[in-house]
Formats: sequence, structure tokens, C-alpha cells
Amino acid sequence: MSQDKEAILDQLNSIFQDTFTENNYSFSINTTRDDIEEWDSLSHIRLLTAIEANFGVQFDLDEIGNMIDVSTIVDLLHAKLV
Amino acid sequence: MHDLPWLLAPTDDFNERCIQLGCHQAPVAEVHALAKYALSINQANRLYQAIRKLTAEPRSFLSRSLTPFRLGIVSNATMDLMIPSIVTSAIRNGIDIEVVSTDFGQVAQEAFDAGSKLNTAKLDAVLIALDYHAYPFLADPLNTSGEVLPSDKAFDYLRQIRESFKQNGGMICIAQTLAEPPYEFGGNFDAQLDGLLRKSLTEFNRALVDDIRSSMDVLFDVAALVNMVGACHWFDERQWYLSRVPMANAFVPLYAEYLTKLIAALRGKSKKCLVLDLDNTLWGGVIGDDGLEGIQIGQGNPVGESFLAIQQWAKTLKDLGAILTVCSKNDENIALEVFRKHPGMLLKENDFAVFVANWEDKATNIRYIADTLNIGLDAMVFVDDNPAEREIVRTMLPELTVPELPKDSSQFLRILCAARFFEKIDFTEDDAQRNAQYLGNARRLEIQKTAATLEDYLASLEMYISFSPFNELGRKRIVQLINKTNQFNLTTQRYTETDVLQFENDRRYVTLQIELQDKFGDNGMISVVICKVHQDRWDIDTWLMSCRVIKRRVEEAVCDQLIALARKSGISKLRGFYRPTEKNGLVREHYRQLGFDCICSDESEDIWDLAVEHYQMKNPPITVSKSSVIQ
Repeated sequence: MSQDKEAILDQLNSIFQDTFTENNYSFSINTTRDDIEEWDSLSHIRLLTAIEANFGVQFDLDEIGNMIDVSTIVDLLHAKLV
Repeated sequence: MHDLPWLLAPTDDFNERCIQLGCHQAPVAEVHALAKYALSINQANRLYQAIRKLTAEPRSFLSRSLTPFRLGIVSNATMDLMIPSIVTSAIRNGIDIEVVSTDFGQVAQEAFDAGSKLNTAKLDAVLIALDYHAYPFLADPLNTSGEVLPSDKAFDYLRQIRESFKQNGGMICIAQTLAEPPYEFGGNFDAQLDGLLRKSLTEFNRALVDDIRSSMDVLFDVAALVNMVGACHWFDERQWYLSRVPMANAFVPLYAEYLTKLIAALRGKSKKCLVLDLDNTLWGGVIGDDGLEGIQIGQGNPVGESFLAIQQWAKTLKDLGAILTVCSKNDENIALEVFRKHPGMLLKENDFAVFVANWEDKATNIRYIADTLNIGLDAMVFVDDNPAEREIVRTMLPELTVPELPKDSSQFLRILCAARFFEKIDFTEDDAQRNAQYLGNARRLEIQKTAATLEDYLASLEMYISFSPFNELGRKRIVQLINKTNQFNLTTQRYTETDVLQFENDRRYVTLQIELQDKFGDNGMISVVICKVHQDRWDIDTWLMSCRVIKRRVEEAVCDQLIALARKSGISKLRGFYRPTEKNGLVREHYRQLGFDCICSDESEDIWDLAVEHYQMKNPPITVSKSSVIQ
């Protein structure tokens, strides 16, 4: 993984910790929606809002539906930011 | 405004504090402190989850520190996302809200079916959270020749929904105006042509506003909210298409804050008093240093105009019934000179019910103002440009509301406005008179200092009291008193306008509304009594009185009247109840002082009986000017 992506993942990690309150999950580049019970459609919206506010980006309609794992989110952010 | 700039941002350890809530020494105070911050939806969710995990005991203490409210929600959109923000905002505004939500789209089913979830849930109100998608504005808009206009159709639909909830569930509705999405078809002509979205929404909103004013329902003016923040920011098509969320998520905290402010207002929890600093809050500069010529206030000077705008705002609030006061670190004479001599000043000395300028600390002075006016610190807002003063006052007086302000005085007004401290649901005769009344109160205090005995003082007030049963004329004020009186309130039983209307017409209840005048002015309606009629006994379900007339033996005059009425009706016994709350310790001995006997007492209630024939008339120095109860 590139340094840019490492940095993005780092920042994402704290957003994930902020969004999912139930357990002390550990997030990695391999985490998917299936790994986190709390990651339902409602918390997905909260997650999305937090990421957009934090990184100052806006995802496209079709991108939002695809954001089902951490590595996709990192790739999307990388494409927008770098 | 989506980040609620009048509130402090959460501390860096906010998440940690939520996690530790369960083991906190004073969890209730900690919840109140955490809820006071400007919370994002994630932070609101975290606090909401932490509260849910509290054990039964702190949770019940938390509930008792708040006013309960059961809110049903129907919507054409997904509202579940908002519940944590609604619950935490409600706590911030003094309300323990219980949300009963329904699946999205179930509006008509819930309203028309008398056995539906909401109609049987014993709610205080139902929020009809509909936006423009809920109505057929966009279907075949121009094909209206000879047909009903889309705005009329939509308005009728909403009226039926409101009517059905009232009939079937006995509750009031909170109805929303419709925000206009940033879509248009023919530009400027959209406002003019029947059937086009812009015109339809304008007409719908106007019809709704007019109708609500004469009904018992309450208006949630979402269109005004969106007007403030801008439709391009408010509407987020992605959220609507993907999840039927009716607004950009970033605005959920603001929507929740305004909704709960409205509900708090229904429960009489809007602020009553504005406490203003002077230097750099009502004018630019420091009068003690810069002098009368040096300060900036009034037309023709950019900084002066920014402060003039704040004075105009305060003046209008006063006209709407808020009490204005001053708390400033200044020499009183120097401060007053500005009001007397500076031509740019809009506010004058007599706009203020209490004027405190000295060198004592502000917390002490604000307490003094609260005592003088006989209102709680939780009913006051303190506006000061100085962050250090704000901080110290906040620490000393945690119940007081102290808005954050930026450095730039031109931004003060929009933030103070957006904070909606003085949310109103009504405008009564009393609101119009309030400042005169409080000014009278301050003068009454002066007399009290000089009168030799309390008796002399009371006699010198030349009080006149009048009694009548509940009626349409007094209804709004009765509801207001029932829902906001906390201290002189024996049972703190809250009732809606619908309930009060019922008492008017129900022979099983005896009701009294009481007005008081004295030589300083008309105090308006100051006391309310509701008795439930049993065979030969009346149970006093409600007895409350406005705090601005305590210690004037008004309750004795009321009791005399009640006894006279009971004798006339052949009633042999009165039964009173005292239910303790955090705020009504004042009336713990109320019934004993009137000669009732305590027949039963436990933690939740004292019961007091009085044999009507043994009652000694108290005859306080108050003249009964009118009684339409007894001729």
C-alpha cells in the first residue's frame, strides 16, 4: 500500500471508531461490511457524512452504493484526493 | 448554521466521556453537560447509546430532571436516523422525549385507523414530517382546467390527516411547511403560474400557516429553516434516492434542535429573559475608556450599525414578551448616560426591567436579577461578547444559557437568531404586557423596603382580584400557565389545549381562572385551579400560581373563593394533593397553611383534607372586583 493510502486509512480509522460505538472494532484495509454487525444502512449514512465532512469530498450516487469495504473507500478517496 | 455555532463544540475527550458515563459519579449532570455541546449525528448517536446503557436508577433520575413528552412521528421519509439527535437535543432543551416512530410511508394508515399504533399510544403530539415528495405536486401539474389546484389537494390531504389524529388519537399535530427544492422550469414565471411547483408550494404554505393559527395544532416552519440555510445545501438528492433521507445529513442536528425547541416551547420552556452585557455587546467600544463620543452605535458607522441591529432585535423580542435586563461591569452612572444621551441608541433605560451595572462578578449579579424578577436561571439567556466572562458565568451558573459568539460583531445577530431561545407558539395579551408588569414588580420591591409591615405593604398595593370559570378568552393563557408553572404548582399536572377545552365543557370539573390587578398595573391571569367533582367532595387536581405574585396572600383569596363556591354547591369536603418535584418545594406546606389536615403522606404524594364547614375565611387585603363564579 502506498504512503498516501496509509495516511487515508489512518484518518479513516478514527472516523470508523467514531461511527461504530458498540465494540472496540479493529479496522484494517481488509475490513468489509460483513465484519461489523453495526454497519447497517443507517450507520452507513452516518459513516458517509463523517467521511465527506472530514475529507471535504463528495461521493457520486453510484459510488456510495459500492462503499461496502474499507479498501474500496480508500481507493475512492485516493482517486479524489491525490 | 448546521453546526449549531451558538453551542460549544464537544471537548476532545467526548467519546471517552460517553464510554465512561456508566461509571460516572454524577451521571445525570454529566448527561446534561454532554448534551449541551453541538453534537454531530455520530456524537449524538454515541451519547444516545450511552444513555440507553445506563442502569435503571440513573435513567429514572435523568427523566425526573426533565419534562416528559411522547412524540409520534409519521413521515414519507426515513426518520430513524434522526432519533439520536432528537433525543439528545430534547435533553439539551429540558425534555425527556419518547419517540414512537412508524414505518415510512404509513401516514394515512396511522391517521385514519382509530386502532393504529400512534392513535393508541397516548401521545402528547404527532409530528407529521412530510416534505414536498409526499404530495402530488409534480404529477401532471398543468392539467388543472376546472380541476382542484395541486396546492388545494395537498392542503386538504394534510387537513384530513391532522383532523383524524385529533379525532382518533386525541392529540395535537406538529405540521411542517414545505421547503422549496432548487428546481424550476420557467424561471421567474414559476411563481406566477398555477400548477407549477413554486407557486403550489407558496400557496400550500400560506394556507397551512393561516389554518394552524386558528387551530390547536402547531407549525414547524421547515420552509423558513431551509430558507435560512439554503435549498442547495439542504436537499441532497443522493440521500433521497438511496435511502429516502429528506435532507442532507449534516442538517439533522439543526432539524432536531428546532423540533425539540418547539416541543420545549409547548411545555413552557422557552427563555423568558435576555440579560445583556453593554460594552461591545450593545455598542462598539468601552464607554468607561472611550467616552460618549468614542463608542460606536447607530446609523452612519459600519460597526455602529451592526450593534444597532442587535438593539432592534432585542427591542422586538421585548415587544413579543421577553424581559430585557442589563448586567455589565461599569459604573452605573456612566453606563446609564449612554442610554440617556447618545442619539444613536435605540434601546432606552425603561426598556429594561432590571439594570445592573457595577463591579461585582457577573454570576452574582445575574442571580440577583433572577431573584428580583422571580424567575429561574434556566429561563434566562446571557449575551456577552467576552469569552472569559462567558466561561466563568457558565461554570458558576450551569443552568443559565450562554451563547457562543464570534469575534465579528456583524455576525452576532444571525447566530443569536438561529439559536431560537425565545421560540413562541402563541402571542397572548400577557406577552404584550409583560415588561410593564415586571417593571411594576421592581417598583413593588422598592415599596416593600419602605413599608413598615408586610400587612401595610400588601394593603398599599391596592390589589383587586377577579375569578371566572375557564372560557375561550382565557384558554391560551391557561394552557401556558399549566405548562410552564413549576414553583407554585401543587401537582405539576400538564394539560394540552384539547384537555383544557374539555374542562370548559365538562360538568364533572370546577375550574377557576384568576386575574390580579394592583396599583402598579394589571398582572393578568396569575392563577389556575381545577377541581374534580365527586359526590360531596372536590379533589383539587390543579392549583398553580405565577411566581410573580407569591407572598401576597393571593392563594388565601383563592381559597376563600373556593370555599364559598363549595358551600354554595353543597360540598362538604375539599381534598388537596401535593406532589413533590425538584422545583415545587415552595408549596410543600401550602395546604397546612390554609388549614387542611394531612391524611396521608408518602414519597410521591401528600393528601390533604378540609372540612368545608370548619374553614375560617382568611379575608386577605385583596378586593374581589369581579366573580362570574359566584354572584
